[in-house]
Amino acid sequence: MPAAFSGKRLGLLLLLCLSLSGGSPADPTMTPQDASQSQANSLTKMQAGLNGESSEHMTTTGTVNWQSQGSPSHHLTLGHNVSTPGPDLTTQEFKQAIKANVSSVTFVEYEVLLPGVSGTSIEKNITLDSATGIELSCRLDSKYSYLKNLQMTWKRGNETIEHINKTENSWGIQLKILDNSKLGSYSCTLKGEEEISAIFHLQVPKIEGKEKPIVSYEGDTAVMICKSFGYTPIAWTWYRTNGSEQIAINDSLLADKYVINSISANVTHLKILKLTGEDDGVYWCEAAFELGKSKGRLKLKVLSFMVPLKPFLAIVAEVVILVTIIFLYEMYSKKKCAEDEKEFDQVEQLKSEESNGLENSARHRKI
Amino acid sequence: PSANMGRAPGLPDGGWGWAVVFGAFVSIGFAYAFPKGIAIFFKEIQDFFGTSYSEIAWVSSIMLATTYGAGPISSILVNRYGSRPVVIFGGLLCGIGMVSAAFCTSILQLYICVGFITGFGLALNLQPSVIIIGKYFLKRRPIANGLAMAGSPVMLCTLAPLNQFLFDNFGWRGSFLILGAILLNCCVAGALFRPIGAARASVKTQATQEGKDALKEEVTKDAMEMSSPTDVPMETKMEEEEGKDCCEKINQYLDFSLFKHRGFLIYLIGNVLMFLGFFAPIVFLAPYAKHIGIDEYSAAFLLSILAIVDMIARPTTGIIANSKWVRPRIQYFFSFSIAFNGACHLLCPLASGYTGLVVYSVFFGLAFGMVCAMLFETLMDLVGAARFTSAVGLVTIAECCTILLGPPIGGTLIDTFGDYKYMFIKCGAVMVLAGTFLFIMNYYNYRMLAKEEKERKAKEEDPKSVRTENEGRNNWNKETAQDGPELEPLREEQEGLKKEVNGT
Repeated sequence: MPAAFSGKRLGLLLLLCLSLSGGSPADPTMTPQDASQSQANSLTKMQAGLNGESSEHMTTTGTVNWQSQGSPSHHLTLGHNVSTPGPDLTTQEFKQAIKANVSSVTFVEYEVLLPGVSGTSIEKNITLDSATGIELSCRLDSKYSYLKNLQMTWKRGNETIEHINKTENSWGIQLKILDNSKLGSYSCTLKGEEEISAIFHLQVPKIEGKEKPIVSYEGDTAVMICKSFGYTPIAWTWYRTNGSEQIAINDSLLADKYVINSISANVTHLKILKLTGEDDGVYWCEAAFELGKSKGRLKLKVLSFMVPLKPFLAIVAEVVILVTIIFLYEMYSKKKCAEDEKEFDQVEQLKSEESNGLENSARHRKI
Repeated sequence: PSANMGRAPGLPDGGWGWAVVFGAFVSIGFAYAFPKGIAIFFKEIQDFFGTSYSEIAWVSSIMLATTYGAGPISSILVNRYGSRPVVIFGGLLCGIGMVSAAFCTSILQLYICVGFITGFGLALNLQPSVIIIGKYFLKRRPIANGLAMAGSPVMLCTLAPLNQFLFDNFGWRGSFLILGAILLNCCVAGALFRPIGAARASVKTQATQEGKDALKEEVTKDAMEMSSPTDVPMETKMEEEEGKDCCEKINQYLDFSLFKHRGFLIYLIGNVLMFLGFFAPIVFLAPYAKHIGIDEYSAAFLLSILAIVDMIARPTTGIIANSKWVRPRIQYFFSFSIAFNGACHLLCPLASGYTGLVVYSVFFGLAFGMVCAMLFETLMDLVGAARFTSAVGLVTIAECCTILLGPPIGGTLIDTFGDYKYMFIKCGAVMVLAGTFLFIMNYYNYRMLAKEEKERKAKEEDPKSVRTENEGRNNWNKETAQDGPELEPLREEQEGLKKEVNGT
């Protein structure tokens, strides 16, 4: 048992989780460490561990454990093709086996450790952007090997899948995902005394739009940006929502209104010129992948200049009022001071005149 | 060598002074917090104009550079026109700058409107606010300074969420428009800066020839604390006056004779050195936190902790610095706080995990607040309130270079070594060095001042010197019998001038 498992372990413990959660975003202030990590991610996606060196590299980054709603953690391993028996093959032999076997498609393996009899279902999201061969397997922990009469069924929707590969404690199926129709949710259900199941969701990469609306003004330009993290789409299309319909934006037709350009393959820009109130609404950027399409949502708000002008004028008025009050108070207090001073000075003058008179008389007396 | 506390009967040390402190609070707050607060808009502007991040960051740098670099111009204007008109004009300039920025169509226009114009307006706000505190306070000046400087973290804490709110609702253009209006509040702060003591300068020019020497020294003693080192340059200045008119004119606007002032030079060198490592840790605190694996919101929270501790530390430092134990040795306290700041940075790489960074932020906030609260107080203490106007202008333009160099040097260190700890070590080392330098040099300065004070007192006991008259004339109401008849008209003239002062 341990030997068999180590065969799989010869493969790679990868941070696929990172790729599923969007990877490290294209942050302009990426630090050196971030850069190396994102490099690692892109390697995982494209090569799927065929490269021995990259596997070494990825092993050092560590495992990521998924936890879902109280069920014990389970591992995701990304490994080599194990459809051929003999799990004790070395990495080199594996590579050769794959090259001999499969055509140009990449091959990845996903395994899930079943949680036991707690009954909660585990779900896994797997992102695919191009044609891939996949092996999905559900493994039962060795501590449950005492369970008898176990029957595993793999399903996609209502359709049962035949050809289950069974090894010691794991049941797997192999799929070739070549187009959109093969994507979806695949579930493995282990029926014994109780039912344990896990679901794999095979999806195209998600595109992030912007949750907060972009605010712009009439007559101004608006720039909307969509990015795809980690996966490079084949094409981008922009739509705007007109009522309940989505209309594609044709920038060649309306060249003085819309400008679409892509700085890089992962990023697309839509520039809307000469905004009017009608341009207000929801926009969609659609990325086309080999296996399907994915959309991101953006909202545009077009305001007239009167909107910020009101708070502006209010604050200016407040400033003017405060300054006037301060100056008036100052003039008032100065007047009061001046009046007091006049009295004070009159008193002082009387005093000094008296003292002068005294001193003068004193001087006269001296002389 | 402590301040002559009882020698300046004219300074209110309270009353309307507190309104002035509030105005300075607002003004200084805007000047320091605005360049940082505006960074929230940069991402959107970057997308809008399609520029790189560094091109946008130039806006902030130009604004900061102009705010510090236009110091001397600010000083000249204050020397000429007084604080109030300069601050009001500065507020208007800020408002105009931001409003015109709302209509910008290129990044270059943003540089000019936000960078230069608003930056210049903020410079015209910062210097006069600091200067006028020295004109209103003497006994409680450290407290007043501490309170006024507390404006910076308070404004930053207010501006950050406000800017976010404005941005979500009005976009960046509308936000700039409204921020222009908000900056006009600096004019309100300026209106609070009632002129005081300005007429004393006119007393100088109106004095008669015989009493000119005596009167000038009277005025300088009233206005300054460290009279002994400044007496010498004052007298040399008087001799030059008869000869060179243009030199005197320049000195009237911007006192370059400060470069002969020992205390000023010590302060200048120490501070220029300190600013090399002062701001970089704040700039890189959040990226460092993210680098060691902390999420964005907690990293931003570190800065908030820093700001809150800073807010409390500044007035507290002002109160401590005002106590009778610390005030005479305030330069030592200042050097200590700089060295403490440096020590914090040196220990930062040892901090592991989020708790360590929180502790670091608390101590950093404390040290940062302490240094900032006393930044201008110590300069005032060294050169005195009258020459402070020119001193602050000259100091800020010298600091301008190192302030701008600090973060980029830190950034280069981070990029070269791939590790943040070298940046912290560099900042810490520079500040500990600056603190030690200031400590040693101020010890020397205090000893020299004590010596000079002794010499001056020895001279004063000489009966044939005219300076004995000065001692008596400090008490305006006392009628001293030894005053000769020639001083009678002089005193009445002084009283007449005093009436003029109060009446304007």
